[in-house]
Amino acid sequence: MLYDVNLHISYLYDTPVSGGRHIVRVLPLSIGGRQRLVAGTVGVTPGPGERVDHNDFFENPMSAILFRNAHERLDIRMQARVHVDVPEPAADFSPRVANLPEDIAGYWSLDAGSPHHYTGPSPRLKECPDIAEYARSIAKPDMTVRAIAAAICARIHKDFTYDPKATNVDTTPREAFKLKRGVCQDFSHVMIVALRSLGIPAGYVSGFLRTIPPPGKERLEGADAMHAWVRYWCGRVNGWMELDPTNDIPAGTDHIVVAYGRDYADVAPVIGVLKGYGQHKTSQAVDVIPVRQTA
Amino acid sequence: MKTTSVEAKEQIEVQAAQAPARAYAPLPDVADEMVDTQGDVRPVWRHFLSALERMDETDLAGRFARADRYLRDAGVFYRAYGKEANSDRAWPLSHIPVLIDEAEWEDLARGLTQRAELLEAVVADIYGKNELVANGLLPPALVASNSEFLRPLVGVQPHGQHFLHFVSFEIGRGPDGNWWVLSDRTQAPSGAGFALENRVATTRAFSDVYAATHAHRLAGFFGAFRETLQAEKSAEDRIAVLTPGLANETYFEHAYIARYLGFMLLEGEDLTVVGGKVMVRTVAGLKPVGVLWRRLDAAFADPLELNQNSHIGTPGMVEALRSGSVTFVNALGAGIVETRAMLAFLPNICRQLLGEEQRLPSIATWWCGQKEEREHVAANIERMVIGPAYSTRPFFDDNEQSVLGSTLRDTAKQSIAEWLASDGTKLVGQEAVTLSTTPAFVDGKLVPRPMSLRVFAARTRDGWQIMPGGFARIGAGDNVSAIAMQEGGSAADVWIVSRKPVERTSLLPAEEVFTRNMPGSLPSRAADNLFWLGRYIERAEGALRILRAWHGRYAEYADPEQPLLKDVSDYLEALDIDTSEAVPSTLIRSIDSAVFSASNIRDRFSPDGWLALNDLAKTARRFHVSIQPGDDATRAMTVLLRKLAGFAGLVHENMYRFTGWRFLSIGRYLERGLHMTRLLGHMSGEDAPDGALDMLLEIGDSVMTHRRRYNVATARLTVTDLLALDPLNPRSILYQLNEIKNEVEQLPNAYSNGQMSPFYREAMRLHAGLAVMTPEAMTDAVYQRFEAELEKLSDILAQTYLS
Repeated sequence: MLYDVNLHISYLYDTPVSGGRHIVRVLPLSIGGRQRLVAGTVGVTPGPGERVDHNDFFENPMSAILFRNAHERLDIRMQARVHVDVPEPAADFSPRVANLPEDIAGYWSLDAGSPHHYTGPSPRLKECPDIAEYARSIAKPDMTVRAIAAAICARIHKDFTYDPKATNVDTTPREAFKLKRGVCQDFSHVMIVALRSLGIPAGYVSGFLRTIPPPGKERLEGADAMHAWVRYWCGRVNGWMELDPTNDIPAGTDHIVVAYGRDYADVAPVIGVLKGYGQHKTSQAVDVIPVRQTA
Repeated sequence: MKTTSVEAKEQIEVQAAQAPARAYAPLPDVADEMVDTQGDVRPVWRHFLSALERMDETDLAGRFARADRYLRDAGVFYRAYGKEANSDRAWPLSHIPVLIDEAEWEDLARGLTQRAELLEAVVADIYGKNELVANGLLPPALVASNSEFLRPLVGVQPHGQHFLHFVSFEIGRGPDGNWWVLSDRTQAPSGAGFALENRVATTRAFSDVYAATHAHRLAGFFGAFRETLQAEKSAEDRIAVLTPGLANETYFEHAYIARYLGFMLLEGEDLTVVGGKVMVRTVAGLKPVGVLWRRLDAAFADPLELNQNSHIGTPGMVEALRSGSVTFVNALGAGIVETRAMLAFLPNICRQLLGEEQRLPSIATWWCGQKEEREHVAANIERMVIGPAYSTRPFFDDNEQSVLGSTLRDTAKQSIAEWLASDGTKLVGQEAVTLSTTPAFVDGKLVPRPMSLRVFAARTRDGWQIMPGGFARIGAGDNVSAIAMQEGGSAADVWIVSRKPVERTSLLPAEEVFTRNMPGSLPSRAADNLFWLGRYIERAEGALRILRAWHGRYAEYADPEQPLLKDVSDYLEALDIDTSEAVPSTLIRSIDSAVFSASNIRDRFSPDGWLALNDLAKTARRFHVSIQPGDDATRAMTVLLRKLAGFAGLVHENMYRFTGWRFLSIGRYLERGLHMTRLLGHMSGEDAPDGALDMLLEIGDSVMTHRRRYNVATARLTVTDLLALDPLNPRSILYQLNEIKNEVEQLPNAYSNGQMSPFYREAMRLHAGLAVMTPEAMTDAVYQRFEAELEKLSDILAQTYLS
């Protein structure tokens, strides 16, 4: 499928901010055999005093921008044409969870795709006994890693209510788990903590979801903003797989990947440090437009 | 003949040294620094010990007191994070130094140099090619699960190619006399400044003995390191010590090192990154920084790319590192080799990377993330300390997160094995080593106390240099198992004793060639603190003067409703000062605020000034609860005014007349001008109560001058003339404006492109506006206008220089 993706993030400040520095990660990735960025730009107004683009540790493109002058609003616009074609997952040859540590230990590398980055606590995700208990109640010893991940994904989708008012960007998975409410970020964070508690390496995917509902089906939630889902490692042979707990589906051709990381902190679309007082308002608008079906 | 007399002298020393040695009993099966296994005093100690033997109790007490007084006067403290409020603790000096023979030290130094090279190679590999992991020498989990593995720094080549520049090692001596490394510090090693202060304090106590002992001096080590850092940067770049700030437990040391080596002392918010270059905000604009000796943990250095919750970092710092414009001592991320489990892999890595065995072993360490190692730990649990694998603190200093295996004796073997298996990757077992003892003076006699040494290594142009000395941690009791160091204790100086006279270097430049370096640009935050220190001090003085005059009259009238007293009470109430309190809390707050401002810029203060200010604050707080209104309060205010004048005098007499001084002065003049303007506006009007003019003269310290100059009874116009418009009266408003104008003229950027800066212009305008006034024209409305304009002047100053 070929998509045109438009994103507009804006910040309105109560009082002018006298400067600031931001890191922006909004441009879709190119991933061999799955997704190709045909063309894409990230524009910022007012024009920044400095801008440096490069790839971060996890190989996500990022732009570092610096403002020297006072401004009352900031607009970040991304336009991209992306080709996505996710093959159907192969049959489940993933190991049983008990055999996974051996596979992980045999991975003698710290490259961006190394499962070692995704096993332990990460900036936003600490261990949580309640979620670990929840995960243990779902996973049976004879299940494969993929079966466990699918079961946890389904359970979270069933047990949790999608509710944008219940949580905010700083809600911890522990809090979201107590509430059994939240948005894609919370669903994903809880699922990652659950998988890690079982020894399954798991990470966070930020991206876009196709907005047009297929005929006769419900509109997918989370489509009016950037989206997030989960990826997990199921051994050397199967590698990384992706699941979307907000919608209880595998990430497929409707999912457009922007960044991979351990949790939200690694991939937040905009991180900023400002000099100024007062509050600001943020708005985000996303359009994912299918251009044409491709073979 | 000569040889014989030396021998005879040595003979006497041996005998003399044996006397206390008889009383000094080392612990069985424990190595002792002073006494060898035969029970003889080691040669390196003999001179010191015989000198000690010749000192009686009074002499010794006097010597120890001299050392303690030095530490107190120099303000040496460390900050203790306690259950109650955090507090500054006096530095606990164990007065008896640890003496180590030069030959033995050289051996140690070779081992530590090799170790520094090894750690450098490991850090460079982790952030570079990553071959240690690829070749199976370092488990990837140990790196990936480590909070000190800073991913944004992977692939960033440090400016100058080196990751490590200043490291420290904690070493201990085992029962067989050999040294072990207990832990490595590569993040931001502390203690070098304390080692210097230990040295000064200890030599205060034993100046005569020290002079006769060929102990290596420490200054050369710091001098060589300073030279190396200066060579790292281009000429216009600054070198700075980057501190997490006042609340840090070793802030004193940060300020001390900065002052000792002549570097700026900066916090993250002093810095900004422009065009990939780190700049410091100063009163003269942005200035480039080339070297940052950081004392804050790396993850806090940049809230954008590292720890997003950091409030003490500089956004864009990682960007600056990517553009290779700044050298960090040590590189961000270098703390990863402090990881305790890393010790288990160093011997093998050393063989592979350096092609040699480690000269100085670490304490035996097993990472329980590996099966065989885990089983070994479980089988030998009684000889192990079990602790967190990723901890970067040594096990005797990690808030008791580590436990001695033998204390788990009653735990079932099975459950220990299960624990190690389930949490293995997070645990290490380390051999429960014992330490050597060294003499400490406790209750009038020498007793053996366990000790470990902290030794410092600096990268210089000639390779790694090991500081000839360091500081010794002395255990509180006689438990020699290393883990007992958790209980704290004291610190001692370390003398490395040569057999021949040592070179005496000093950090002062040689006499014939010197350049007069002008102080570097003043950071805006320091200027802000100086300015407010000036204002708070003057605010306190203003309040003290009014209160003294008030209580003097209250003692007479005994009625707070008397018109003049009531009038002044109302005036003070508007300033939030409550005359029903003899020493009002608002006054205490002004003084405390002055102390706080001063504590932020302690590197710019003489210890004398700091002590005087603290003494003022302490006295004021004591008076706050003990003083009664009236005569008692009048006397108390006089005492406080005298103490305040003492502080002001010290500053006035001793502070270098440069930019910092000008901000402090402007703060004082501005506050004094405001004080007098407000006071005259309130008390010199036609409707002022009887006695107001006399009281004004008293507050303005101008009674005598008025009598001499005017030969008339106090009248509104003469008082106005003297306190508002007399350019020669140091308390008049015009005098303050005149001084402000003079100081402002000397500030950076007073002129730009030949034009006066807005601040300078405003100061000139205000001065001229008052200079042309006549006493008759000084109405209440005029005073109000000047008060508003002075406040505005303060705002413009802040906008121009302090943000």
